[in-house]
Parts: sequence; C-alpha cells; structure tokens
Amino acid sequence: MTRLFLRLGLALILFFALDALAFRTGYTSILEPNSTAGYLQQFVWNEIHRPLRGPNQVLTVGDSRVGLKTRVTNLFIEDTGYTLASIAVPGTTPRCWYYMLREVDPRRNRYAAILVPFDTYNDREFEPVADRELDLHYLAPLLRLSDLWSFSMSYTEWPLRGLAARTVLLKGMAFQQDFQAYLAHRHAREEEVRLVHRMGAFWIYNSVWELHNLEGIQVDWAANRITTMPAWPDAAKRHEIEDEVLRPIPPVTPSYAAYRLRWIGAIVDRYRGTRTRVVFYRLPRGPEVRPGLPEDADSSVRRMARRPGVVLADEHTFDFLERPELFGDGMHLNEAGGIEFSRSLAQLVRQWLGPAQESVRFASTPWYDSKDVSRRVSTRHARVRAPHPLPAQEPVR
Amino acid sequence: MLFHTPQFFLFFVVVVALFYGLPRPFRKYILLVASYFFYMCWNAKFILLIVALTAIDYTAAMWIRSAATPARRKAALIASLAANLGFLGFFKYYNFLASNLALLMAKPPGEWALAIILPMGISFHTFQSMSYVIDVYRGEQEPITNAIDYALYIAFFPQLVAGPIVRAHNFFNDLYHWRAPDAGEQLRGVWLVVFGLVKKLVVADQFARLADAYFAHPAAYPGYFAAWSGVVAFSIQIFFDFSGYTDMAIGLAQLLGFRFPENFRRPYLASSITDFWRRWHISLSSWLRDYLYIPLGGNRHGRFQTYRNLMLTMLLGGLWHGASWNFVVWGGYHGGLLAAERALGVAPKRSWNPLRISFTFALASIGWVFFRARTFPASLEILGRLFRGPAGHLMWPHWQLWIALASLMLAVAEERFEWFERLPGTPAWVYSGAIAVCLLCLELIGFTGRPVPFVYFQF
Repeated sequence: MTRLFLRLGLALILFFALDALAFRTGYTSILEPNSTAGYLQQFVWNEIHRPLRGPNQVLTVGDSRVGLKTRVTNLFIEDTGYTLASIAVPGTTPRCWYYMLREVDPRRNRYAAILVPFDTYNDREFEPVADRELDLHYLAPLLRLSDLWSFSMSYTEWPLRGLAARTVLLKGMAFQQDFQAYLAHRHAREEEVRLVHRMGAFWIYNSVWELHNLEGIQVDWAANRITTMPAWPDAAKRHEIEDEVLRPIPPVTPSYAAYRLRWIGAIVDRYRGTRTRVVFYRLPRGPEVRPGLPEDADSSVRRMARRPGVVLADEHTFDFLERPELFGDGMHLNEAGGIEFSRSLAQLVRQWLGPAQESVRFASTPWYDSKDVSRRVSTRHARVRAPHPLPAQEPVR
Repeated sequence: MLFHTPQFFLFFVVVVALFYGLPRPFRKYILLVASYFFYMCWNAKFILLIVALTAIDYTAAMWIRSAATPARRKAALIASLAANLGFLGFFKYYNFLASNLALLMAKPPGEWALAIILPMGISFHTFQSMSYVIDVYRGEQEPITNAIDYALYIAFFPQLVAGPIVRAHNFFNDLYHWRAPDAGEQLRGVWLVVFGLVKKLVVADQFARLADAYFAHPAAYPGYFAAWSGVVAFSIQIFFDFSGYTDMAIGLAQLLGFRFPENFRRPYLASSITDFWRRWHISLSSWLRDYLYIPLGGNRHGRFQTYRNLMLTMLLGGLWHGASWNFVVWGGYHGGLLAAERALGVAPKRSWNPLRISFTFALASIGWVFFRARTFPASLEILGRLFRGPAGHLMWPHWQLWIALASLMLAVAEERFEWFERLPGTPAWVYSGAIAVCLLCLELIGFTGRPVPFVYFQF
C-alpha cells in the first residue's frame, strides 16, 4: 500500500503542477470576454493597464447601479485634481469587489480613495448575497490558493463551500467550459481577446445607457401599485419595473450585517494604515422611493464608518437624483442620470477627500478620449465581431 | 449509483476500508452487503429478484449434484434455465413479443404492453448464473455449498451491472484462494480505474454528444461526410464507454483481490470481423461460443451447418443486447459477415495491415447503425446517407479529431508494445505522470457534473 500511496501522492502533486502551469500562468488573459469570468477580467485588465497620471486616482467598485461615466468625470479633472475610474461590474457583490481590488491594487498604494456604494446604509438585504453561486464564476480568475479557507468558508452552505474550494484549487475545472470553447475556436478567441484588450476600455468609456426615462410614472404606495407608467416599456419591462419599484422593505438581518462586516470590512482593513481612504456613499435608489424607510443608527455600515480612514457620505447625498426622468428602469440610472450622477460625484470627491495634492494637478486625458482614436480602430478590427456595441460618442450635457 | 459519480467513489472507499479493516472471515459478508446495497441504490424492490434467482440456481446446482438419475439432473438444469430465461424473457422481451404479436393480429402495438422496468444488469447476471449451472451439470464445476459465496458470485458489485461475465471457476478460485493484491496489482487496479474514467468521460461522453445529435436528426446534417462522422462518433462512443466501464470494473475488483479476465483487446484494430469478435466483449463472445455455438454443433458438421450456427449464435447474441428488431438485424449482419469471411477463407492476420483494419472498422461501424438508430427505417435512412448525397461537412470540432487521433495512436502503441499493461512496473515518475495527465484530462474535459449513463447499462 505504501508504494501505491506514494505514487498517488506524486501523481496528485504532478497534477496540481500541470493545472497550475496551464491555468495560473496567464490563461485568465484569454478567457472568453463575454463569459462571466471573462467580463469581470476585462474590467480588471483595463484598470491594471490604465496609465496612471499621478497619485490622485479614485476608484469606484460596485455593480450595475453605479452610474459612473468616466468620460464625464474626466471633464472635471482640472477643477478637482482627482481622476475617477471604475471597476463597477454588473452583478458583482462586495465579496467580488474585495478580490477585484486586491488584483488591481496589490500594493495598496495606487489610489487616493476607493468609493464603495450601498443601496442602503441599513442591514436590509434586498437580495441574498452570502451564498451567491455566481460569485464563484466571477471570481474564478482572481482566487489564489491562499484563499482556500477564507473564501470557501465565506459561504454558509456546505455544498457551496465545496464548490468554492474546488474553484480555488482546480482552476482547470473552473475554466472547463471556457477551455473547451477555446479549443474549438482557438483563433477566433485569440482575435477577440486581442480586440477587447485594445478596444474594451474605449467601448466602456463611450458606452451609452438607456435613453428612455420613466417620466410620468406614478405610484400609489397605499395600494402598493403603479398607477401610471410611461408608454415605451413592453410588458416584460413593465413587469420588471413594477417588481423593482414596489419591492417590499426586507427586515434587518444579522446575517447580512455579518456579510457586510466580512467583505466591506475586509476592504476597509486592507487599506488601514495606507494613504487610501474608503468612502461609503449611498446610490440613488430608484425613480420612486417607498416612503417611511426606517433608519438604523447602529447598522454595520455606520459601525464600519467609525474606523480610521473611512469617510461616510451623507446618506441623502444623491436623493436629488431619485427622479423618474433620470432612471431607465426601477433601479438603474439612464444616460442622463448617469451624466448627472458622474458630474456630482466628480465634485463630491473633492469635498469628501479635500483638495488634491498640488504637485500632481494637471489635465489628464486618456488615449481613448483623444482625437486619434479613429486611427486605432483599424479596419482589421472592424472585421471581427465586436462583443459589445460600438456606439457613437454622445455629447456630454 | 454510477461508477463515474462521486457517490460511488465514496461508497468504494468505505467498502475498501471495511474490507481490509475487518478480519478475513467477515470480508465476503462485507462484499455481499455492499453489493446488495449497490443494487438497491438503483431500485430496492428488485433485490428480491436477484435473491430469488440466486436461490433458484444455488438450489438447482445442489440438486444436480445430488440427483440420483441423469433425468433428474437434466430436470434440475431445465428448471434453472427456465427460471433464468423466464425472468429475462418477461422483463426484457415481454413487451417486444407483445407488440409484435399485436401487430400480427392487427391490433395497436401497445394493446398488451405492460409498464415493465428492466432490472439493472439482468442480462449479465442471468448469463453468469446460467453458465454456473450448466458447468455444474457438465461436471466442469463443483456446486458451491455455501449460499453466501454463491450469492456474492452473482451480485459482486464491480461486475453486476454490465459485466464482464465472469465464469464461476475463475471467481471461486479467487474467493477461495484469496490473496491480497500485491503492489503491482494495486497499481494496475488504480490505473485501470483512472484510465477507465478517462475513456468514459473524456472520450466516450464527448463523442456521445455528436452521435446523439446526428442520430436524433440525421437530416439536419446532410452529406456523407456528416453521416460517417456521426456513425464513427457512435463507434468511438460505444467502445470507449463500454471498455471504460470494463476497465473500471476490472480495476475495482483487482483492488479487492479479484482478477477478472480481459474483455476488450483493441477491437478497432481487428483485421477482420472474425478477429473483431475475438477482441470485442470477449466475455460475452466466449460465453456465446461455449454455451451456444459449440452446443449447436460449432464447425463440426460441415460448412453450411457452421454458417447456420454462426448465424443463430449472432442473432441470439444480437437479441441479448435488446428487445428490438434492430438488434436482431445487427446480430444477423455480424453473423452474415462471419459466415462470409469463413466462406471466403478470410483468416485473422497478426500482421499490421492498415487497409484491412480500416475496412473492418468501416464494416463494424455500419453495423453500429442498427445498434444505435431508434427504428429499422431510421437505420436504413442513415445507411443510405453514408453512401449517397453530397459530401457535406465533418461534424467533429478540430479538438475532437485530435482526441480520436490520439486515441488511435495510443491504441496502436498499446497493440505493439502493451505500454499500459507494463505501466505499473515503470519508475514512479512515469506511472504518476500518466495518472496526473489522466487527472488533468478529466478535469478539463471529463467532469461536467452531468453524468451520462453507460451505454451497456440498458442491457
């Protein structure tokens, strides 16, 4: 038996070595850009490769509700001295944000501030996130062997803990479908990845959101129904808007508070003792907001805000954007809302952080905002199917 | 509980721990309980069937030994065979016969149909049981006096579901002269389990997708290139599926100290159909030879009797696989080819002849059309597509082509050098490296979380 176990042990070591050789040495850079992991990886890649000009960089994490448009905030760099960037990825959660930050800022010295958004400062869980399996798909490229225990145990259910451990240990299994698709269409994938690396930041920078708005929506809160809805949404969209606007207020849950303390707390702890400040702010919540939301003075967010290096923005900072004409659905700002939000955020950052260091105040224009962008979008790239639409640049209002 | 699921591996680890952890007298009880548990995981009620068949054949063998006259001995044999074939006939062939009878009498096919569940592995364990009773009757096997031992022979979980069909003298020799597997046997056992998993999950299941797609909608893939790629995909699937299962069964048994015979010997490198049947499902073909072909007269009564015997054996062998005219046609097709080869004097050659091997593979693949297609008309339609129409396109993605080519190269190398057999004796880094590569293949291609049942489980 000893001989068998020795050989099996050696086989396992060789297997992990092969797995690491294949998937921990750069495979993540050729993930399918339209996959969950590849999409997040694209944001991370863009941010890592974004040329930094000076130390007054401010990064926002978040999900699709973060309406930051850097092509708007860039207009204010000369006024505020701060350059805003975003790795807000639709569908991500605080757990994802922590690992994304670790990836883009390994030495914890890249940013003057990290902006962390909340839908509410209270511990009311509108959507269960602690055991979200989707996080595994998002985070597969970012997880390291050292995360085995902490990441796996952050799930509360054992099957998910097992799945999380597998994602950390066996990268090949995590990327199995992606790898098979890569084998099937190797050249197309490589071409697509090259294109996304070259143009992805440009597409995100110039993307245009929903142009419709919800002007005219009226809610009868007593009857808990929408009485008037604009005409443009189709039936499915109307249903979605109803669900979002009328969603009930969930109770305060200790488990959600624990989740926030675990992951937002991890972000705060990560930057403790550095020059980077962590700013908590509440997002504009919707075109119509249910009245009478109780406030919890001792919520996890408020407790964390007492830690050094944390700035807690006034909860009602963005209430003025909670207007139907600035929303494209029940939760997300539309194009106009995004512009308003970005303009306000650019100004508020200076207010929250104070004046930028004088020595690094200068105009900063990223390459994709420059005149020569058309030269970079060569005809060779235009022939390849673009994973994202390439919209016309909208004038900034 | 399929062999390629985590549940099975957990079960096996527990069984091995108990088997080697308990004193030797208790070990066969552990194996019997584990085997019955394994069977009951599929359907607990049907354990009564396997126990009943075990009791019948055990008693019949004892009667054969103690019977005073040859007539009584024969009566005991017939009773046993009738019970086995009766159960097999009812569970496997009743609806087939009923629907054909209904058609003959111009009634709807489902007129007399019953909702019958086919008990898992019934074709295998009844054949195993019958061979034991026949051997006892022939005086080639001493009857087993210990009912537990006999029950274990019938229900032993590594080969219960889909063979290999183990002869009684082999099994009881291992049981009564049990010795722990030595280091080489342990390494071989583990290698066979891992390699069997690779065959099943990395190769068979990948080609199953292509075969399933083609056989479900052949019209969606026009052209003979597409037809051949769909049919060859099934040829690859069925071989790697069944031989993968068999490798695992042999490996698992070896880890428990039981040595099962070889069941496949690179059949797609056969140089004739006669050679093919010496390499394909060897335990079944040798069973058919010993208990059907030879008793029918074999090749001892002239040329035409031999052809008839070949045809009858293969027709029944085809029918053994499933209750459908397609299987009968498949058996008849192979019977016809065997007879034709004998008539033409085509002898299996040991020399390497790629042309003959390719031709034999093509003939075997054409036969698989009847095996895989749902109905006889569907088989004919696909056969037509193999030889006419536009060229069309290959259905295989490039990387599956590479898998097929790699498999072919490994098979050729194995045929000439028997590398895999010699693997346990190689230096540690070679053996461990081979296991590591297999694990990587399983990780990247094999484990999809959606276990595809083994093809032969339905038989």
